[in-house]
Amino acid sequence: MSNVTIQNVSKAFKEVTVLDTINLNIQDSSFTILLGPSGCGKSTLLRIIAGLETPDQGKVLCDNKDMTKVLPGDRNVAMVFQNYALYPHLTVYQNIEYGLKARKVKNPERTKLVTDAINMVRLEDQVKKLPAQMSGGQRQRVALARAIVKRPKIFLMDEPLSNLDAKLRNVMRYELTDLYSKLEATFLYVTHDQIEAMSMGTHIVIMNKGIIQQEGSPKAIYEDPDNLFVAGFIGSPPANILSFEGYDYSFAVRPEHMILHTTHEEHISIFGDIVSSEHLGYEAIYNIKTSIGNISVKTPNLWDNISNATVEVCIKMNKIMAFDHSGERIRDPQHHAYAISVFKQVILDRSEFLEGVV
Amino acid sequence: MISSIKQIPKHALLILLCAFAIFPLYWMVISSLKPLGEIFTPSMFPSAPTLENYTYAVNNVPIFRLTLNTLIIASVQTVAQLVSAVMAAYALTRWEFKGRGLIFTIFSLTWLVPMQAIMIPNYITITSLGLRNTMLGVILPFTASTFAILSLYSALKSFPKALIEAAVMDKLSEFSILTRIVLPNIKPAMVSLGILLFIHGWNEYLWAMLVNTRIDQAPIQIGLQQFLSLERNEWGALMAAATLSSIPIIALYLALQKMIINSFVKWGIK
Repeated sequence: MSNVTIQNVSKAFKEVTVLDTINLNIQDSSFTILLGPSGCGKSTLLRIIAGLETPDQGKVLCDNKDMTKVLPGDRNVAMVFQNYALYPHLTVYQNIEYGLKARKVKNPERTKLVTDAINMVRLEDQVKKLPAQMSGGQRQRVALARAIVKRPKIFLMDEPLSNLDAKLRNVMRYELTDLYSKLEATFLYVTHDQIEAMSMGTHIVIMNKGIIQQEGSPKAIYEDPDNLFVAGFIGSPPANILSFEGYDYSFAVRPEHMILHTTHEEHISIFGDIVSSEHLGYEAIYNIKTSIGNISVKTPNLWDNISNATVEVCIKMNKIMAFDHSGERIRDPQHHAYAISVFKQVILDRSEFLEGVV
Repeated sequence: MISSIKQIPKHALLILLCAFAIFPLYWMVISSLKPLGEIFTPSMFPSAPTLENYTYAVNNVPIFRLTLNTLIIASVQTVAQLVSAVMAAYALTRWEFKGRGLIFTIFSLTWLVPMQAIMIPNYITITSLGLRNTMLGVILPFTASTFAILSLYSALKSFPKALIEAAVMDKLSEFSILTRIVLPNIKPAMVSLGILLFIHGWNEYLWAMLVNTRIDQAPIQIGLQQFLSLERNEWGALMAAATLSSIPIIALYLALQKMIINSFVKWGIK
């Protein structure tokens, strides 16, 4: 249990700025996710908190104590690496025990801590194996146990599930959430996978190009994006971004906030041709060519043979998000209403098939 | 069937090359068994095999003492080269520091300087240290090997960084990381490099001859030289001593055959 404060941290590698004046407060006992595309600086930020990298400027505070110059081994943090980083020549038991030995923890306390950690990740029957004899999922459990055994205040995880197959990832997501509730520690988790972020995080920090784009609960990130990047990053597929030449505004609508060929009350609707469809089971994603550009629509699967068919896309009026010319979300209600009227006008201008707006 | 016919020229070539490689050894052994009068005849088998060359060699030169010296020199030299190379290569791969590239370049360049060019400066250094005619004097200039440093540099360069970082997070000291995490995992590279260095040390002749003339401190190669003089060359005894002195290295080869071949393949040299 511990909160971490990042103050004005910047870092560049050979003149390429990776982190640009980052300020962030990671709350005590939160499961905070650093989410962003590759190269956004999230891993570097994690490594700076671990002490594996030194920031060019700025400070890392842990419970208001300056940790910037403290050695990684003395920071009371544990790290889980993407490719597990288990010691290949040591057994599972020795791998987990090693950090305690280096910290001179004496038996029988050491044995107890190791046994507890092994039980927690359910590897009781694997302790004598070498890492090479185990599957990816088991290795990642060993890596977790190696972190757990140190009883750190903060767990740092660098894309720990990205080397696992999709099915195993689902299982491990559930197990990580379970561990988080048992351990009562702060989790800081780096990923580029928004499903991991949405399903496990209590708090999500979205980064791009070395800058924090938005932070908040998964709900806030999804429902109330601060800028075009977040709107265009979160969601599967992400929100449709619509911008029109000659106008200062951009608009975003989530694919799940539109429906196909139903009544068009309370919607603005536009006709288009289905270009392609992707069936996901219950849902399907349709790529539709319209007079305002290609948009993707996620709806309950129609299953019908409707490729190349002309359909009516109904956009829920109250779900349209407006952004100004610098890409920032328009929060002022009047300004928003005006922007939406611009949106309607554009669609009116471009669509001879417009059925009407209520 | 056709493929086995195609194999014939290949095997014929290999057999020929084997014969080239083995013949000198065979000649050494049979010459050592030939009586004095027969030594200059081209006979492929000694007419009356005799051990008189061996008794003569053993009585005139302390062969066993010299073999032991060679063993000591080659072993100490190998260990010293491995230790210095591991430390240098680890430092060069583990940290970014000012002058790292320069140091690496200097190391690489020293490899291009032939041994003969630095022999005289080394001789003067060893002499002024008072180490002439000692085993230490033979060993000292060879306690660091550029070849070893560059070989381990490439082995350590590909060592996973995350493992070292995991050890840092586990609060291991830098020395423990090197000895307990890195070394156990590059053991195969260390062993094969060690074998090469040992063979190289065993065969070193020129420097030892230059710096060491005291027979009790000298490696076996100096002993062999005793049978060659301006007046006459005692070929029979020389061959007998040479046969005896090659027994340890052949035994080592037979014991570690697979590893030695692997190490040759690994470092891409012959």
